[in-house]
Amino acid sequence: MKNENLLEMKSISKSFFETKALNNVDFACHAGEVHALVGLNGAGKSTLTKVLGGVIQRDEGEILLNGSPVAISRPSDANDIGIATIHQEYSTINELTVAANIFLGRELTIGKTPFLDKRRMAAEVRELLKRFGLEIDPRETVGNLNSGEKQIVEILRALATKSWLIVMDEPTSALSEEDKQKLFEFIRRMQDEGISIIYISHHMPEIFGIADRVTVMRDGKIVLSEKTGETSEDAVIREMTGEDLDDFIKPEKTVSSDKVLEVKDLNKPGQFRDINFTVARGEIVVMTGLRGCGAPEIAKSIFGLEKDYAGEITYRGQKLAKGQGPAWSVRHGMGFVSENRDKNGILAPLSVADNISLPFLYKNTKLGVIDGGAVNGIVDKAIRDTGTKTHSSATEIRFLSGGNKQKVCFSRWLDENLELLILLEPTRGIDVHAKADIYRIIEDLAVRGVGILVLSYEVDEVLLLADRVLTLYQGDVVSEYGQSNMEKEMLLADMAGVQKSA
Amino acid sequence: MTAATLNTEGQSPKKIQLNTRYMFLIGLIVVASVGFSIANPNFFSIANIGILLRSISVLFLLSMGMTFIMLTGGIDLSVGSNVAFAGGVGVVVLTSTGIPVLGFAAALIAAMAIGFINGFFIGKLKLSAFMVTLATMALARGLALVIYDADSINVTNTTFLWLGGTSIGNFPIVIPFVALVFAALCVVLYKTAYGRDVYAVGSNINTAFLMGRQADRTVVSVYVLTGLLVGIAAIITVGRVSSGQPWAGLYLEFDAITAVILGGTSLFGGRGKLFGTILGVLLYGIIINGLILTGTNPYLQSLIKGLILLGVVLIDTISQRRSAQ
Repeated sequence: MKNENLLEMKSISKSFFETKALNNVDFACHAGEVHALVGLNGAGKSTLTKVLGGVIQRDEGEILLNGSPVAISRPSDANDIGIATIHQEYSTINELTVAANIFLGRELTIGKTPFLDKRRMAAEVRELLKRFGLEIDPRETVGNLNSGEKQIVEILRALATKSWLIVMDEPTSALSEEDKQKLFEFIRRMQDEGISIIYISHHMPEIFGIADRVTVMRDGKIVLSEKTGETSEDAVIREMTGEDLDDFIKPEKTVSSDKVLEVKDLNKPGQFRDINFTVARGEIVVMTGLRGCGAPEIAKSIFGLEKDYAGEITYRGQKLAKGQGPAWSVRHGMGFVSENRDKNGILAPLSVADNISLPFLYKNTKLGVIDGGAVNGIVDKAIRDTGTKTHSSATEIRFLSGGNKQKVCFSRWLDENLELLILLEPTRGIDVHAKADIYRIIEDLAVRGVGILVLSYEVDEVLLLADRVLTLYQGDVVSEYGQSNMEKEMLLADMAGVQKSA
Repeated sequence: MTAATLNTEGQSPKKIQLNTRYMFLIGLIVVASVGFSIANPNFFSIANIGILLRSISVLFLLSMGMTFIMLTGGIDLSVGSNVAFAGGVGVVVLTSTGIPVLGFAAALIAAMAIGFINGFFIGKLKLSAFMVTLATMALARGLALVIYDADSINVTNTTFLWLGGTSIGNFPIVIPFVALVFAALCVVLYKTAYGRDVYAVGSNINTAFLMGRQADRTVVSVYVLTGLLVGIAAIITVGRVSSGQPWAGLYLEFDAITAVILGGTSLFGGRGKLFGTILGVLLYGIIINGLILTGTNPYLQSLIKGLILLGVVLIDTISQRRSAQ
């Protein structure tokens, strides 16, 4: 079943309006290769893979399979020649079993009858699972699987249709550490079988851990393509940004003793237990752990989205009513950036200006009529202060890159009344460059005296941002660290539950 | 995902799209007017223009309310029945008390009560707008039939009939009244924080909620606002024919939804303008009026209305899919 396929894309160009998304791109991938494709948001990675997957049509250039041109004018053409794309949003059907998902659309039947041969499908899936050393029950309903397992089912579906080239778009963005390791193991197995993988990611350690070759895109062109052994993380980052990245350095500041938030004996069965901590003005407190550690639920309780908890939350000296709701919280100076930007963070059809101004519009009215001048002033200042790249404030937000969308999600809280900002995974799915900008915005706010409560699953980010860290494991606070005793190894051990018994 | 970021340069595509749509609608309005006036010279007479505008004044009001509702991502199938119900309540209160102000108030309150029921179930209890208003559509019609005892009631009170029935020469006074309502609603939608909430709720109700907006109240309010407009429409409807009819407003929900979609408001919320709705109502009204004047078989009217709606939805969906690529 070894294959010797070689796929080449030659001189591919594609424009949207006046922007050249792809400019004369040459790209190749051969059997058994894990090929990392990196670049900042908007560099053209997704466009390239969409051209390959038949989702969008190239303007110029050709695609060759083993030297002969192939026409890919729709997604099914790509599938026919063995190319499959695994998106960040899985297309598995939760109500069906693993086997049914894998055989979706080409179900096996008993003889020529219309009845499904579930036994044979399960047996074939079992064999597939065995081949790749995976432990999933083919009869399990997909809805009961975690996101790592769903992704594996999605990949298996591609493999079952004889795909040999699999495009993965940020495959680890929603995975726990454990699931990531499983996925990497699976990728190595696939590689042994001659399957090729185009691996889109921002994470340097992942790329250098798993890929044979790394290709860097910038502004629609390929600026670097090397074997991973022959280049370095620094070189890749330099090519991605086109400049040396100025590292973010945490500014010196004094944290006030004035507590903006005090959380006392917070309990919610199955979510978190005996949580006690405070956030002072100007302080950045980071909660960290693995997915399922309970931190998002704590943050949501503070913002007033959960009401079934026991314990006390005191905000600016006032005890919060349980489930007070975001309307109360925002009016009293809280801000909230959710973990899922596209689902809960932006108003996609509206302009950047509307997206920024909504929470404070009501404060800038004269006789009920919006004071356009004042609002525009605040919006323009917020765009400048956050370094948001947009054509104008009237541009619809959906045309912005992920990093810029995230900056907009921050911009709306820069209001002078802000007292406490709650951030869930503030840099999820955004590139290194935008990350540094986001860190700067957070620090600026802290310096201004805003208390900041962050949930982050990325330990490097925790170390970079935190004045104080709370490590959580399955709903319990494991330890608390200040700047002086914060160490990566200890944080990782706490997150993984190592010290739990001690 | 990244592909979408690429046209950050260039002009905001939304503006271009909406403007071309308005130009296209205006073009169609001109073509339809010229076409019908060639077929029947009476079409362009001042008298007919007055008749045309008066006949669609009720549709103007309902469609503007429907625009608010559809901007929030909802729909209201009850507006037509509610016109009959509110008219019935108004007429009954008027005939029993003889005081026109009470009649007006009763009509407005009745219509807003139906609107509030819609809004409460949809906004607070999060039921499907389609299902809730399908139910209240039947409910309001049933109430109207009960109130009227399935028969029409003649109205002679000149104050009550004034808005819908008065003309200065050939010029019905309801036309400047509708223009005033349009201007007021434009201020509400574009110049107040409430208006921005309407768009925000339709764009993403979760996000609006997390941004500290009272998303459920906004949803309730657009149905109550539409109820108010329905109440005014009911008074105009009674005034036009000098009587209250239990079957008034039949299929008006269809006409309003078609006109709003024709005017470019998205079925999925968050996009659309009142100006587009005005153009949509005009074009739709001209086509229907023209068909009558040219003596087209009335049985064909419904068929043509259906084709218009299907055509608009088809064109919109195709163009949306294109721009999504």
